Amino acid sequence: MISEIKDKTEFQAFTPEPIRVLSDEGEWVAPFELDLDEATLKRFYAEMVAARMLDEKFIILIRTGKTSFIAPHAGHEAAHVAIANAVQKGHDWLFPYYRDGGLWLAMGTPPSEIFGQMLGNAADPAKGRQMPSHPGSKPLNIFTACSAIASHIPPAAGAAISMKLRNTGQVVVCSFGDGATSEGDWHAGVNFAAVQGAPAVFVCENNRYAISVELTHQTASHTVADKAHSYGIPGYRVDGMDVLASYYVLKDVVERARAVHGTALVELEVYRYGPHSSADDDSRYRPKAEVEAAKQRDPIIRLRKFLERQGWWNETAETELRAGIAHDLNTALEQAEAAGEAPAEWMFEDVLSSRPWHLEEQRRLVLEELR
Amino acid sequence: MPTLTMIGAINAALSEEMSRDERVVLFGEDVAKRGGVFLATEGLQQKFGPDRVLDSPLSEAAIIGAAVGMAAHGLRPVAEVQFADYVFPGIDQLFSQAAKLRYRSGGQFTAPMVVRMPTGGGVKGGHHHSQSPEAHFAHTGGLKVVVVSTPYDTKGLLKSAIRDDDPVIFMEPKRLYRAVKEDVPGDDYLIPIGKAAVRREGRDITLVSYGGSMVETLKAAEEMAVAGINPEVIDLRSVMPWDKEAVLNSVAKTGRLLMISEAPHTASIASEVAATVSEELFDQLYAPAIRVTGFDIPYPYAQDKLYMPTVTRILNTAKRVLDY
Repeated sequence: MISEIKDKTEFQAFTPEPIRVLSDEGEWVAPFELDLDEATLKRFYAEMVAARMLDEKFIILIRTGKTSFIAPHAGHEAAHVAIANAVQKGHDWLFPYYRDGGLWLAMGTPPSEIFGQMLGNAADPAKGRQMPSHPGSKPLNIFTACSAIASHIPPAAGAAISMKLRNTGQVVVCSFGDGATSEGDWHAGVNFAAVQGAPAVFVCENNRYAISVELTHQTASHTVADKAHSYGIPGYRVDGMDVLASYYVLKDVVERARAVHGTALVELEVYRYGPHSSADDDSRYRPKAEVEAAKQRDPIIRLRKFLERQGWWNETAETELRAGIAHDLNTALEQAEAAGEAPAEWMFEDVLSSRPWHLEEQRRLVLEELR
Repeated sequence: MPTLTMIGAINAALSEEMSRDERVVLFGEDVAKRGGVFLATEGLQQKFGPDRVLDSPLSEAAIIGAAVGMAAHGLRPVAEVQFADYVFPGIDQLFSQAAKLRYRSGGQFTAPMVVRMPTGGGVKGGHHHSQSPEAHFAHTGGLKVVVVSTPYDTKGLLKSAIRDDDPVIFMEPKRLYRAVKEDVPGDDYLIPIGKAAVRREGRDITLVSYGGSMVETLKAAEEMAVAGINPEVIDLRSVMPWDKEAVLNSVAKTGRLLMISEAPHTASIASEVAATVSEELFDQLYAPAIRVTGFDIPYPYAQDKLYMPTVTRILNTAKRVLDY
């Protein structure tokens, strides 16, 4: 229980209630002292607002027909900002999934690259190969997301085993939704990492819905964190709409994984405000009142209330912050749009390390057609 | 020069590559302490230590998927799937992750890895120790697929596979593991992936095969020679990419193609080669390109030998091509 925690480095696994640091009203409820400075807290706040505004931008992209697909992440911002701040950026590796738009941004990915991927055009470092909302970045060690649910769990385990075998001092943080925990590959991957003692932190962004299937139809486990019992690793249940609780627990778990090559599971309880994707209508399976109730726990409003209590935030600061983010996102989107379409020549690149005869023939056929 | 079986050649290739490159690691079910159920990795954990030769949990998804992550992170993993028939729980890892990682990331991440697996029939293994699933792999862009037939090739091709920058499925016909011994040089030699070998030169008909069926194909060729027919025999060795140039050069000379493979008939490598020859050499053929293959049925236990192309079936079908 949180009330038993005397020090933030002693978070207990398998607590009956989610670990919280801030109440819904933004009051400090943790039994340890705040040790983050004003600038850090303001940065967490700014990153969450930017993540929300990025999501709003994604919605505009789909409504204006500029993209074909989005996976909305509003409601997941605290989880995303907490993960980004718990890792050593560019040193540790992330294995994200498609609802990690805010994480993608908070890691420091240039927004023009994010928009390039969302547009699938020449501004996409991944060359327009995948549908939108699939994060990835080699310079930031963000393993390019794959649509196939939980298929990134065994690769995440493999990278963590490589880190352990070579003692690189790195950690893998692998994120996924609650539905992923039903896939065989999820269990296979978590088990292999755990039995090898690999430095992997598996983070479930549990928003209780796998498209329309509610958690009680997904698993008989009381919590996702409980599943860690099966693999002999700790499982932490955290209020994932509390950025400070999420950050403190993740930071603790990531550093422990780094120090002792330990594997862990962290369940961040979040809520998805929007539909599963731009192709989904969530009013078919959940009441509006439930969505509205979840918004009462909003991670951004909660941290803002805390900052205001500390005397560190006001309406002027809010207006300035939002104007600055809006400007940056608009500029980045313009930049991405200016890059133009992904060239047809890219279609046959990066299949293999070099192009064998059959791909050369197939490529020629397409280029002749376009001539 | 050492005389080795195919198993010996695999062991030698792995040992040499592990000595040459410390990034090479081996893992899979039973590969470390026991040295593999076929003993392909025997002695390697003792030689290279437990950090480079690992026993994995019993999970093909974990084995293949972990290889993807290790490879992306900078290792050169050689994963063993105990039987090709058991690759299916790991297929999502092969198809969704290994095959597409380079492409989906725009070349930012790659998976230079080898997945070894014993393949094919002839050992009374029933459905799940006899199949030849290479066409599944070849049908998914982003993978390379090798099927070996001799100890000499096995060493050279496995070393090439380990050094290759792409995911390579390395298929070892289990009925050939200890069938023959041949001279395998102890030095460092490579056989390129994608290059076929002409096993016998001839002018009358081109027999193209690979893997386990090379045994019956070569026997059939000998019997044809006794009967006064002079067949050319090509061993594809790699089925993705396969050596179109070698096959077309031969068929341009003989005007007749017989494709032989123990894999199931429909949508097979044999079909692919036959279709390509028909497309490219239509006006130079004296007969249609014909396939002798396994059948579109679950692999039977009782008729283990009858499932695979027999010498008799190859000869009978060759006669159809020759008499056309």
